Amino acid sequence: MSWLFSLLGSSVGKKWMMAVTGFAFLGFLAAHFAGNLTVFGGRDAFNGYAERLQSLGPILHLFRAGLIACALVHITTGITLFFQNRGARPIGYQVSTSAGGRTLGSRTMPYSGLLILAFVVFHLFHFTFVDKTSITIFERVVAAFRQPALAALYSAMMIVVAFHVRHGFWSAFQTLGLHHPKYMPWIFALSLAAAFGTAIGFGALPILVAARM
Amino acid sequence: MRLDAKIPGGPLPQKWDRHRFELKLVNPANKRKFDILVVGTGLAGASASASLGELGYNVKTFCIHDSPRRAHSIAAQGGINAAKNYPNDGDSIWRLFYDTVKGGDFRAREANVYRLAQISNAIIDHCVAQGVPFAREYGGLLANRSFGGAQLSRTFYARGQTGQQLLLGAYGALMRQVAAGRVRLFPRREILDIVVVRGKARGVVARNLLNGEIECHEGHAVVLATGGYGNAYYLSTNAKASNVTAAFRAYKRGAFFANPCFTQIHPTCIPVHGTYQSKLTLMSESLRNDGRVWVPKTPGDKRPPHQIPEAERDYFLERKYPSFGNLVPRDVASRNVKEQCDQGKGVGPTGLAVYLDFADAIRRDGRAVIERKYGNLFQMYEKITGEDPYETPMMIYPAVHYTMGGLWVDYNLMSTLEGLFVLGEANFSDHGANRLGASALMQGLADGYFIIPYTLGGYLAGTPLEPVSASDPAFAATAREAEERIHRLLAVNGRRTVDDLHRELGMVLWNHCGMSRNNEGLRKARARVQELREEFWRSVRVPGSGRDLNQSLEKAGRVADFMEFAELMILDALARQESCGGHFNEAYQTEDNEARRDDERFCHVAAWEFAGGDREPVRHEEPLAFEHVPLTQRSYK
Amino acid sequence: MSQRIRLTLKIWRQKGPADPGHFETFAAEDISTDMSFLEMLDVVNEKLTLEGREPVAFDHDCREGICGSCGAVVNGRPHGHLRGTTLCQLHMRHFRDGDTIVIEPFRARAFPVIKDLVVDRSALDRLIQSGGFVSVNTGSAPEANTLPVPPDRAERAMDAAACIGCGACVAACPNASAMLFTSAKVSHLALLPQGRPEAARRVLSMVRAMDACGFGNCSNHRECEMTCPKEISIVHIARLNREALKAGFLSPER
Ligand SMILES: Cc1cc2nc3c(=O)[nH]c(=O)nc-3n(C[C@H](O)[C@H](O)[C@H](O)COP(=O)(O)OP(=O)(O)OC[C@H]3O[C@@H](n4cnc5c(N)ncnc54)[C@H](O)[C@@H]3O)c2cc1C
Ligand code: HEM
Ligand code: HEM
Ligand code: SF4
Ligand code: F3S
Ligand code: FES
Repeated sequence: MSWLFSLLGSSVGKKWMMAVTGFAFLGFLAAHFAGNLTVFGGRDAFNGYAERLQSLGPILHLFRAGLIACALVHITTGITLFFQNRGARPIGYQVSTSAGGRTLGSRTMPYSGLLILAFVVFHLFHFTFVDKTSITIFERVVAAFRQPALAALYSAMMIVVAFHVRHGFWSAFQTLGLHHPKYMPWIFALSLAAAFGTAIGFGALPILVAARM
Repeated sequence: MRLDAKIPGGPLPQKWDRHRFELKLVNPANKRKFDILVVGTGLAGASASASLGELGYNVKTFCIHDSPRRAHSIAAQGGINAAKNYPNDGDSIWRLFYDTVKGGDFRAREANVYRLAQISNAIIDHCVAQGVPFAREYGGLLANRSFGGAQLSRTFYARGQTGQQLLLGAYGALMRQVAAGRVRLFPRREILDIVVVRGKARGVVARNLLNGEIECHEGHAVVLATGGYGNAYYLSTNAKASNVTAAFRAYKRGAFFANPCFTQIHPTCIPVHGTYQSKLTLMSESLRNDGRVWVPKTPGDKRPPHQIPEAERDYFLERKYPSFGNLVPRDVASRNVKEQCDQGKGVGPTGLAVYLDFADAIRRDGRAVIERKYGNLFQMYEKITGEDPYETPMMIYPAVHYTMGGLWVDYNLMSTLEGLFVLGEANFSDHGANRLGASALMQGLADGYFIIPYTLGGYLAGTPLEPVSASDPAFAATAREAEERIHRLLAVNGRRTVDDLHRELGMVLWNHCGMSRNNEGLRKARARVQELREEFWRSVRVPGSGRDLNQSLEKAGRVADFMEFAELMILDALARQESCGGHFNEAYQTEDNEARRDDERFCHVAAWEFAGGDREPVRHEEPLAFEHVPLTQRSYK
Repeated sequence: MSQRIRLTLKIWRQKGPADPGHFETFAAEDISTDMSFLEMLDVVNEKLTLEGREPVAFDHDCREGICGSCGAVVNGRPHGHLRGTTLCQLHMRHFRDGDTIVIEPFRARAFPVIKDLVVDRSALDRLIQSGGFVSVNTGSAPEANTLPVPPDRAERAMDAAACIGCGACVAACPNASAMLFTSAKVSHLALLPQGRPEAARRVLSMVRAMDACGFGNCSNHRECEMTCPKEISIVHIARLNREALKAGFLSPER
C-alpha cells in the first residue's frame, strides 16, 4: 500500500486525484442540472423528482458518501497544491506578465474553488438540511429565487463555477494524459461549451424560476 | 628528444586490434583504486568520463559551465560521419580513411585516421542505443546526407542539432555514472594548472568559480578534453568560454604543442555587423548543398541582389571548381571568398560578404522542401540579421571555426607529459591541416568512448605509480603560482577592459595569421603581439575580487594565456614555409592560387616544446609517412 | 536597417546568495538595433568596468540559442517577449528608443540566486541523474539499424529532445514547476524503442526527483510552452502523466 500513497502523494499523483474527483463533480453537476430542469415541469414534477431521489435509499447514501469523499480529497489536495505552489517561488517578480498561457480560469482555480466550497455549504443549509415537512422543496426553491438578492447570488456563483469548469475540464484530460494533437482542439471546445453550459444553464435557472413560477 | 608516436606494427587495418591486444589490462577489482581526473565535458570529456566510470574507475570530472551539458560541443549543427555505407553509394572504412587523410592535406598520421574510420561505425551504434534521435527514412532506418564536400552520403544528423543530441547522449551517460557514484562532478571549476609530480601528471589545480577557492585534486592520470583555441581570434564561432588555458598550462608543464598554426576558417558564417559584435554564428555548411555562392562580376556593384541580372553574377566556386562546385572543402571555399572580397566584389554594408542564394533551389524543389531541410537555419539567420533568406539571398563570410592544432599526442592519446592524455579538439588530432565537415564529432567521441578506455588502462597497468596526496609540495607550489597570477591580474587596475584588449589581439591574428598569411605580416604580428602582451599587463582592468563569482577575472585569465599563446601560433606559421590546408602562405601557391605543399621539407608534425621563461620554444618534428594514400596535390577542379 | 537607440535598464543586483539584493538603474546609450540583448549588456558592462564598478553578472556561452546558459526575466518574460527565442538571440531591433527594461533573475526556490542574474540550475542536472538516460554501457550496443524507428516518432522524440535545459519553463511557470523540462526528457526517451525498457522506472524516479528538488506542481497554466525558446509543447507533459499512470499502476516498479 505504501507505494500507492507515495504515488498519489507525488506531484503528478496529487493532480490525478484532483482530476478524478473533478470529473466526478462534473458528472454530478450534469446530473444535478438535469434534475433541476424538472422545476419547469411544475411543482409535482420537481417534488416527484426529489421524492424519487429519496426513495433510492442506500444508493443515494452511497452516492453522497462518494461525493463527500471526493470533496474531502479535492479540497485538501487543492489546498495542499496551492500552498506548495506558492512556496515554490518565495521571491516573486517585479514585473509579472503572462506569455499568453494562463487564463482567468487557470489563474483563479484555488479561489474559485474556495468560493464554490462556501457556496455549497450555504446551498446545503439552504435547500438540503431544511425542514421539508411543512413546505415542499419546490415551494422553497421558488420562494428563495423570488428574492432578487438570492437569485442574483446564485446566478453570480454559477459564473464562478463556470470559470472553474472552463480550466478544470480540459486540464483534467491533460492531467490524466489524455492529450492528442488531433483531439485536443475538441476538448478545448468542449471545455468552453461546458463552461458556457454551466454559466447559462445553471445561471439562468434562478432568474427563470423567479420570472415564471 | 625524438617524438615517438608509438604506432603499432602490422598492416594498417590490423594495427588497432593488435594494439588493443598488446595493451596491458587493469584487473577489474583494481580499477576503483585509480583516480582519473577528466577536464572538460564536451563530447570528448563526457564520453570519456562515462566510459571510464562504467569500467569502474574513480572519475572526477571538471567543467567551467554550471552544467556539463553546456559544453561547446552542444553547438555543432551539421552531423557526424561514419562509414556505414547505408546509402550503398560506395563508402567503406578505407574510403573514409582516404578522404580524411587527403582532406587534411596530408598532415595527419595514417594509423590514427584509419583507426578513426574503423571506430566510426561503433559510435553510431552506441549513440542510437542511447536514444539519439537521428533523422530517419520513411521505413524507419537511419538517414544520411552528403556534407562538407564529401561526394557520398555518410553523414548522420539530427536536424541541425547533431552536436546537441550527441552531447546530450554523452551527458546522459555521464549523469548515469554520477548517480551510480562512479563519477564525481565538479561544475563551475576552471583548471588553472596541471600538477606534475616526479615527471608525471598527477593532479590539477582548479578554481571554484563561485567562491574563488583554489582547489587541488590528485589522481593517477589526467585527461584533458578542453576543446579548441579558436577564441584566440576574439571573434569565432566558438562559445565564449572556449579557451586555451588548460592546454597552454600543460604545454608549460612539458606537453608539446603541435601545429598551433593550423586553424580552420569556415566559409559560411553570418558576416560581422559592428565592433560590439561578441561572436560569430555559423550557418551550417549543409546549406552549400543547395545554395549557390556568387558575387557581382563588377567590383563595387552596390545594387541589391535581385537587380543584378544573371549575366552579371559570378558563381565563382562553380566556375573555378566544376566538379565540386559549391561543395569544395572549407579552406578552399574560405580563401576564395576572401579573394573575391579583396577584389572589391564583396557585398553588404561592409563589403565583407558574398551571397549564398537559394532562389534556384526553391524554384527547383519548392519552398516546402527547402523549408524542411533548412527551416531552422533560415529562421536563425532571420533572427540575427532581420532578413528573410527565402526572399533575399543570404550573406555569408568566413569565420574562425576549429583548430586542428593542439597538444601533441601519441597513438595512445598521451602527450609528452607522462600521464596526461588529451582528447577531442584539444589534441592535434587526426585532421591534419584541414578538418572535413562532420569529423570533429566523430573524433571526439572516438577518443572518449572507444580509445581512452583501452589506452588509459594500458598506461595504468604498465606504469609504476606511487601514491601521491594533495599535500605533496608540488601541489602547494602549483596552487601558489595560480593564486599569484590571479592577484597580479586584479592588481593591474589599468584603463582598458579585457574585451577591448582581446579584440585587438584578435584583429592582429585575423589579419596576419588568418586565411592567408605572409612572412612579413607574420613577423609584424609577432612583434605586435609582444607589445600587446605588455600592454595587457600594464593596462588591463579587472574589477571585483577573487573571492566570489567574477566573470571579468575569468575572462582576464583566459585572455592572458591567449596573449602568450598567439605568439606560438605565429611562430609555427612562420616556421612552416609551405601552404597546406588551413595554413596558406602567400609565398607558396600555384599559378591559379592554390596551396602548394612542400612535402620534401614539411611532411611532418611540428611540435613545440616550452623552453622556460621568455626563451624561444623548441620546434620538434614528427615525420609523417604516407604508405597507403599517395601524396598528391589536392584538386577539386 | 540598423539604428541607434537609448534605453533605461532596471537590473537586479545581488552580491551573493546571502545578500537581499535590490534593483539598480542604468542608462544604456547608443545601442545598435543589430546587437543582441547580451551584446547590449556587454556594452553596459564595459562602461561599468571603466567606471570602476562591478559589471552585471549573467550566464552565457554559445550566444546562438543552443547551450541553455543564458536567460533572465526581461519585462516579466523569461528570455524576453519574442516567441521561441533565447535571450542571446533576442535582438535589440525588437525594442524601441526610450524603452525601460526591467531585468530580473529566474526566480524559483529550486534555483537560488548566485549573483545578479546568475542562478543555480543544478537541480536540472539532478533531475537527469535520476533517470534521464538509457542505461547502455559503451561497447554493448547492437547495430544501429537493428531497431527501425518510424520517422514521425523520431521527429516527435526530436521535438522533445530539443530542450536546451535553460530552465525558462520553471521561471515562467506560476508554480515554478519543472514539468515541461522533465516531461521533455521522459517523452524523448519514451517515444523511442531504445528508451522503452526502463520507461517505467525512469518516469517514476524523475517525478520523485522533481518533487525532492522543491519545484512546484503543474496546474496546466501553459506559460511554459509559450515561453520555451525551443517551443516544446505540453503534449509532452501529458505523455509524462500517461507514462507515470502506466508505470505507477500497471508496472512492477514502485
Ligand atoms: C558552430 C560549430 C558547429 C560545428 N559543427 C560541427 C559538425 O557539424 N560536425 C562536426 O563534426 N564538428 C562540428 N564542429 C566542431 C565540434 O563541435 C568541436 O570540435 C567539438 O565539439 C569539440 O569537442 P570537445 O569535446 O573536444 O570540446 P568542447 O566541446 O569544446 O568542450 C570543452 C570542455 O572543456 C571545458 N573546459 C575548457 N577549459 C577548461 C578549463 N580550463 N577548466 C575546466 N574545464 C574546461 C569546458 O567547460 C567544456 O566542458 C562545430 C563547431 C562549431 C563551433
Ligand atoms: C462543483 C465543484 C467542483 C468541480 C466541478 C471541480 C472540478 C475541478 C476540476 C475538473 C479540476 C481540474 C483538475 C486537474 O487539472 O487535473 C479542478 C481543479 C481544482 N479545483 Fe476544483 N472542482 C470543484 C470544486 C472545488 C472546490 C470546492 C475547491 C476548493 C478548494 C476546488 C479547488 C480546486 C483547485 C485548487 C484546483 C486546481 C488544482 C491544480 O491544478 O493545481 N475545486 N477542479
Ligand atoms: C441554480 C443552481 C442550483 C439550484 C437551483 C440547485 C438546487 C438544489 C436543490 C433544490 C437541492 C436539494 C435537493 C433535495 O434535497 O431534494 C440541491 C442539492 C444540492 N446541490 Fe444544488 N442547486 C444548484 C446549483 C448547485 C451547484 C452549482 C452545486 C455544486 C457546486 C450544487 C450542489 C448541491 C449539492 C451537493 C446538493 C446536495 C445533494 C444531496 O442531497 O446529496 N448545487 N440543489
Ligand atoms: S523545456 Fe524549454 S524552457 Fe524548459 S528548459 Fe527545456 S528548452 Fe528551456
Ligand atoms: S506553466 Fe507551469 S503549471 Fe504546468 S503547464 Fe507549464 S508547468
Ligand atoms: S548563450 Fe547559449 S543559449 Fe543563450
